Amino acid sequence: MTVQTAERPAAVRGGRARPAPDRRLTRHRAVMLLFIAPALIVYVLMVIAPSIQSIQLSLTDWDGINPAYEYVGFANYQDILTSDRFWNATKNTLILGLGSAVVVNAVALGVALMLDKLHHAQGFFRTIVYLPALVSGFIAATIWKYMLNFNFGAVNTVLRDLGFDDAAMDWLGDNDIVVGVLLFIICFTLGGNTTLIYLANLQSVPQDLVEAARIDGASRGQVFRYVTWPMLAGAVTVNMTLMMIAGWTIFDQVMVLTAGGPGFVSETMAFFIYKVGFGEYRAGYGSAAAIVLFIVVLATTVLANKYMRSREVQA
Amino acid sequence: MSARTRRRERRRLTAGEVVVMAVLSVLVLAVSFPVLYALLNSFRSYAEITKDPMGLPSGFSFENYVRLFQTTDYGEALLNTLVITGGTLILLLAIVPMAAWGIERLGGRSSRWIYLLFIAGLMIPFQVRMIPLVSSMNQLGLYSTLTSVILVHLGGAASFGILLYCSFIKGVPREVEEAAEVDGAGKLRTFWSIVFPMLLPVTSAFVIIQALSLWNDFFIPLVFLDASSAGTINVALSRMVGLLTSQWELIYTGAILAIVPSVVLFAAFQRYFIKGMSIGAVKG
Repeated sequence: MTVQTAERPAAVRGGRARPAPDRRLTRHRAVMLLFIAPALIVYVLMVIAPSIQSIQLSLTDWDGINPAYEYVGFANYQDILTSDRFWNATKNTLILGLGSAVVVNAVALGVALMLDKLHHAQGFFRTIVYLPALVSGFIAATIWKYMLNFNFGAVNTVLRDLGFDDAAMDWLGDNDIVVGVLLFIICFTLGGNTTLIYLANLQSVPQDLVEAARIDGASRGQVFRYVTWPMLAGAVTVNMTLMMIAGWTIFDQVMVLTAGGPGFVSETMAFFIYKVGFGEYRAGYGSAAAIVLFIVVLATTVLANKYMRSREVQA
Repeated sequence: MSARTRRRERRRLTAGEVVVMAVLSVLVLAVSFPVLYALLNSFRSYAEITKDPMGLPSGFSFENYVRLFQTTDYGEALLNTLVITGGTLILLLAIVPMAAWGIERLGGRSSRWIYLLFIAGLMIPFQVRMIPLVSSMNQLGLYSTLTSVILVHLGGAASFGILLYCSFIKGVPREVEEAAEVDGAGKLRTFWSIVFPMLLPVTSAFVIIQALSLWNDFFIPLVFLDASSAGTINVALSRMVGLLTSQWELIYTGAILAIVPSVVLFAAFQRYFIKGMSIGAVKG
């Protein structure tokens, strides 16, 4: 959805047939600007202005409370880029964001392909496949937190009942596995919207093309590889881009399940910014980390679009 | 597409299809397991849950549901969440479609620049504007009010709304609007009585997508509502989780109640849901 921003006709179309007197055109434009104004004002005040202010704050040592602060140049950026804690958060964000984008897209595509195969009760299955997506990441994580409890959690209880006492672990308290557990929980979905987007695209693949390929002797695998897959490239671009942007800001699950712990082991970038900005009263430092996050998101979006666009079939 | 549907009806149920149905059912059950588990445990007491975590409820007592409202802030949080979701949606509908129409009908270079300014917001994570916003809200005396949460949500949702509405309005013919104006209707009236009704398909998609994401949001209310407010459902739940002696049975109950509105919304508007999610997705 983010990708259809390019190529808009910028020209005024008013010059068509109807002779519009200049005064009327100016009045028209003034009224249109008034229509835009409320949304634009709210947007600028709530998004653009604070984002720019973040750049300014990132150059200060502000604590977030005291009105006085001093400019420290790029010291915050220097601190961030040499901080092991920040790089650990970046690594986790990459594992969780990119990892979940790949896994969820693969699962969603698989589910969409299965749904597309159904000739009976497709609507019913589409509905029940979508149902789990109604549960937010926050709620799912909250439930998991208790299911993964060491003493009374469902997971360890089942493992102990089955006789695997050694397999019962402190899932969220063990440095070595905690990020893997987070990844598993984030990926524990059937894709929801992602699946629907793939399904809609699969159904727009011309059947003639598929049948022609079959008649020419292509196997099922070849049909997928050479006919269906290229036609899906647009959907893959959209889904991967959306999920990667969301991936960079993974927060809810970390906040609920581990609060970044044990220690700082499972922090993500979004959690790091929240923690240093509000929990540790280093608003200037947090702002600098936020600007780094912005640059990363911007770069991902541009690069992902460029790379995946180049693979698309222009139908 | 119709030829394809017809062919589908004539076909017999194949073994392959049965396998696919079975696999999908198993997958759905597996993924829904945490929710089903929470649902079952919302009917059990704390003692029952910790004694036998995998046990089934002995009966369907709604005691936890009553206690959730009597002993915690959940009721107030529910109300707050409703106000935030409803208020944000109404305000979004009041300003976003109008602005999108303005952008599309303004024309010229300024139109394109305004559009791009809005779209840029899609790439600005909330974390980037969070710290300055908290301090501004503090200065304005709005910190920890529902107003602050609504305002912050409005800014965040505007970009997506403009993208959605603009791409739809491009396909709306001007002739009708021009005829209305020739008949003497003002711009405001033309918009609300002629253009806005034509935007219904995109409005339903926008409302559903936003309603879900507003209802489910955790980060923004977490940052803007402190202990002086009951918070939203998610914030209230996270506070219950954070207590030293957390009441598992109430947290499961609260989690289940938080899902109910989404399921109701989905059941009521299923058709629009699926359409809405695919709008603009085909050949993005």
